[in-house]
Amino acid sequence: MLLLTPLVFATLTSIASAARLTVSIPSSPPLLPNPASLAPSTHAILLGPPGTRYSAPLRRDNTFAFPDLEEASYLLTIQSRDYFFPPLRVDVTKAADGTQEQTIAAWQTFRGNEWSNKGPQYGSGKGTLNIQVSPSSQKDFYQHRGGFDIMSFVKSPMILMGLVSVVFIFGMPYIMDNMDPEMKEEMAEMQKKGPLSGSNGAASQIQNFDMAGWLAGKGSGAESGGTVKKR
Amino acid sequence: MRASNRANAHIMLSTLLTAASLFLVPALAVFADEAWNVDYHFALLGAPKEETSFFHQPNPSSRASLIYTLSEQHALGAVNPRDGSLVWRQLLSSDGVAYRTSFLRAGEGQDVVISGIGHEVAAWSAADGRLVWTLSTDGPLEDVEILELSDGKETAGAKDAVALSSGANPTVQRIDGASGAVKWQFNIDGSDAPYQLSASSTQIFAILLHKTILGYVKLRVVVLDPVTGHKVDEYSLNSENELSTTENIVSVGANSASPMIAWTDSLYTTLKVNVVGTKSIQSFDIAAHDDSPIEHVKVHAPYHVNSLSHFLVHYQTAASHWADVFHINLKNGKVEKAYSLPKLAGRGAFSTSTSDANVYFTRVTRDEITTVSSASHGVLGRWSLNTFGVAAGIGEQVEPIHAASEVSVKGDTVSAIRTTILLSTGDWVMLRDGKGIWNRPEMLASTMVVTFALPADAATLVQQLEVEAHSNPVAAYIHRVQRHLSDLQRLPSIIVSLPQQIVKGFLGTSADDLTASDTFGFRQIIVCATRGGRLVALDAGSPDKIVWNVNVADLQPGQSREPFLASRIAGVVEVSSRAGAGIQYNATNGQPLAERLPVVPEGPQVPSSQVVLYTMHDGTLEASFNRTPAWAFTPMHGERIIDMVPRPVNDPVASIGKVLGDRRVLYKYLDSNIALLVTAQDSMGTANVYVLSTVSGAIIYSNVHTGVDLTIPIASIMSENWFAYSFTNEASDEASKGHQLVVGELFESLVPDDRGMMGATTNFSGMQTATEPFALTQTYQIPEVISKLAVTRTRQGITSRQLLAVLPDSNGIVGIPYGAVDPRRPVNRDPTKDEQAEGLVRYTAVLEFDPKWFLNHQREIVGVKNVFTSPALIESTSLVFAYGLDIFGTRLSPSFSFDILGKDFNKLQMLATVAALAVATFIVAPLVMRKQVDQRWRFL
Repeated sequence: MLLLTPLVFATLTSIASAARLTVSIPSSPPLLPNPASLAPSTHAILLGPPGTRYSAPLRRDNTFAFPDLEEASYLLTIQSRDYFFPPLRVDVTKAADGTQEQTIAAWQTFRGNEWSNKGPQYGSGKGTLNIQVSPSSQKDFYQHRGGFDIMSFVKSPMILMGLVSVVFIFGMPYIMDNMDPEMKEEMAEMQKKGPLSGSNGAASQIQNFDMAGWLAGKGSGAESGGTVKKR
Repeated sequence: MRASNRANAHIMLSTLLTAASLFLVPALAVFADEAWNVDYHFALLGAPKEETSFFHQPNPSSRASLIYTLSEQHALGAVNPRDGSLVWRQLLSSDGVAYRTSFLRAGEGQDVVISGIGHEVAAWSAADGRLVWTLSTDGPLEDVEILELSDGKETAGAKDAVALSSGANPTVQRIDGASGAVKWQFNIDGSDAPYQLSASSTQIFAILLHKTILGYVKLRVVVLDPVTGHKVDEYSLNSENELSTTENIVSVGANSASPMIAWTDSLYTTLKVNVVGTKSIQSFDIAAHDDSPIEHVKVHAPYHVNSLSHFLVHYQTAASHWADVFHINLKNGKVEKAYSLPKLAGRGAFSTSTSDANVYFTRVTRDEITTVSSASHGVLGRWSLNTFGVAAGIGEQVEPIHAASEVSVKGDTVSAIRTTILLSTGDWVMLRDGKGIWNRPEMLASTMVVTFALPADAATLVQQLEVEAHSNPVAAYIHRVQRHLSDLQRLPSIIVSLPQQIVKGFLGTSADDLTASDTFGFRQIIVCATRGGRLVALDAGSPDKIVWNVNVADLQPGQSREPFLASRIAGVVEVSSRAGAGIQYNATNGQPLAERLPVVPEGPQVPSSQVVLYTMHDGTLEASFNRTPAWAFTPMHGERIIDMVPRPVNDPVASIGKVLGDRRVLYKYLDSNIALLVTAQDSMGTANVYVLSTVSGAIIYSNVHTGVDLTIPIASIMSENWFAYSFTNEASDEASKGHQLVVGELFESLVPDDRGMMGATTNFSGMQTATEPFALTQTYQIPEVISKLAVTRTRQGITSRQLLAVLPDSNGIVGIPYGAVDPRRPVNRDPTKDEQAEGLVRYTAVLEFDPKWFLNHQREIVGVKNVFTSPALIESTSLVFAYGLDIFGTRLSPSFSFDILGKDFNKLQMLATVAALAVATFIVAPLVMRKQVDQRWRFL
């Protein structure tokens, strides 16, 4: 059903003076202390002009080798199961001094930027180039759910409110008992007059709030609201 | 106005969902607790080839061995014989090129295996699959062997390899085993075709095929000195009148004390044997053992220089098989028949194992395994097999195809034997002392098409309810009572399992409970049609084992088959092909049903919508409408059609608009008859993208991309009112080099609350009114190639969609949330409050694939060709199934599991909270009561 043309990988044509690129992965603690632990599926891809694409698997000595490179500008990406590697730009050009050897140079490149925007140079050489590329970060595949944590449970406002009320329930009678009688009387007086108690206190207002009347739009606010009367 | 009200009502629900998911967008990922439970994966190699499958010790100092194979799918890998798990794997042909021959060799006591395929000889570290060296040859490889020299002149470490290549300049090369450098090269003169290499401990023989004038094949042997690479001798074998094709050459032995060549005449009446290095040919008559003619003759010989020079010839007919064992006298080069193994019914598989110099032959038949020594016919070990433990068709006899064994012998008996067998069902099994240890479903590696089907038992209930609905009340009542009575039979088993279920209900989560009934629709049957003509079914709910596996087409070798699969009726799978009439199968047990289906018509098939049928004809796309031609799309000169993706037939959309942050609506351009067409212009390096109305053939959107690498796949997808495609482009002044993903969305108008041209109309026809949608597109720079795009599907389309992209370079499938690639992301400015409320973030040119988006997480899914999605019964979930080389499946909830309690719901915590509250209530209640009583006494 698909009419996709098969991917054509350019076969390596042996040119006597073709450039050779070797990319090695050094030990780079703490991210990757032992590059031998990289999965065997790790490979490097060199993407050249349309139709040119080389793929090199990881070797036993933690390197990727591209033996015959034609003159072009390449994008080098390293694909690994567990690590991210920075993308590089590799240029193979004719030597300036007209010798047989080609010049080969590598820089860091930035995705989504112009191709001419080059980062720090990784190295340059005549005919052959060995560069070292370290992983930029480790891949973290898994999302961890916020599990049950006793501290976060206690810190939650609901629980804090509960705890405070528990303290009040158990603590208040104790404090009241230990207060001197005069103070106690004063408190009782204050409670009677206080805004929260009494038939016109806020508490009773809330308790006797006429929800239906308020919803029906009887006036705005408490001024003309239901049973709430202005003194 | 009315329409917009209705739309608003529809939209409310989806708004709530998106609003709910917005808070959690960064968390759209694979959860650690679901990672290895919800998804499943078969890391496959493909059918192993007999010549390239063997046991080998990766570490010469340890006795533990692995099984190495280079499969028919050109996957090289090592399998742990203990549990069948894959140790490492390398795909030697990622571009889908099929090679005629491939080789895999391991030298005794070596820590590398050497592969040869196409133009490439490569050595791989046997323990971890890393490349050691690689060498490309000018011509295609004809043979690769490892030099087992006994002259002591080579290096102590790695053994050298010899490669024979054909092409314009056929050569024999000796390759240094440590570095991969060519030590010497011998150019073969003449026009004879190189056939094989053979090496004894002192000489290398290149065997060439010389075509005589009469059309027969003559064998020419060139003898080379292994140290210098000079020609020592050359002679031809007198095989003129018997050998008409190379198929009759039974074997060319290699790496044995005395390699030999064996061939037969075309009727399999005589076997001719020549010990390489001598010119004498000995012939043996092949006695007919039954009426059916011999189908093939195979030679099994040890692969070590210091083993006894004994070999076994295996004769196979349609009904039975037998074998003869021959000894070669090393002194005079005479071949003698030692003994015969009796005829047994069915197919047989023989394997050769060595222990020091001794050679053992293991014979696997359909019901037993026997081991004999090459020296005498006495049976050293016999194990009877009841079954191979694999799923097969009803009444199908499972036969062994080929085997490899590892034998340990103590005295006169075999103390332990491990045998891997490729079965006729396509399974690769391991038997230890006749007992099944593991089973790798390698036939699934050649899956061509798949379909999801409901299990038949779930379907029967639906059918029975339909019967009741459509009959008269009395009959329906009787039917119902009968159904309930039959249901009552299951009562005892339900009662027995009740306590267990209650415990599970308290401790587990609802998503775990897949065993009893399938309320969520997770347990769908996935039916795969393989290239080998088999139909294999998996259960998406318990994917560890194959449900059924039937042979649907008896294919001749080399015959190709293009099956089509569908499940139009619940519980029934339909298989059709161009080769013959289609058949229906019961989805639960694979039994064929009576009905016959029409033969699929000839011509390349393009995915079709229900009304419009597409065909490709001379590079022109032709659409027909009720079998009458409707329109044709002829690309411009030099332009070719790469791919065409219509909107899926079953693509429900819950809402006709997109709700903006300020509660206004942008109306989607929803047309079930639109398709995305991608064409390429190779000379210019441009890719053209068209959105077509498939009813009228009108182009409603088009775009051109220049500097596109057309050798790299261009993936495309169309769903709802949006499309996406990816390509790779070359650096230019305005574009950076790399891979890009383009997402486009079609709207009726870009003005909110306005339906544009279609304002008041309720119906419209694409034929009469030319309505052009307004398209918003956005391009994202992505880190790697996408080879295939797919999209999640849910039952009603309320759940937001997730774009699934197959990444061949990082061996994964990434699920990109639509919000991350929404073309309405504001460019060059921060989103407004309303846009923030919609979940839109500022546009960035680079879209990095978050590792948490990888559906496969740490698994490596190799060679995925396609991804198939199917809705579950609950709205939140979509089932995903990827196939190609590997099989991978999972469940996705793109808007989170809003209708099912997932693993995040901690039942224990909830129960503990309830219990704590209850306890608190009991303790606090008397206290509060006392306090209230006290208060009354005090203050009143």
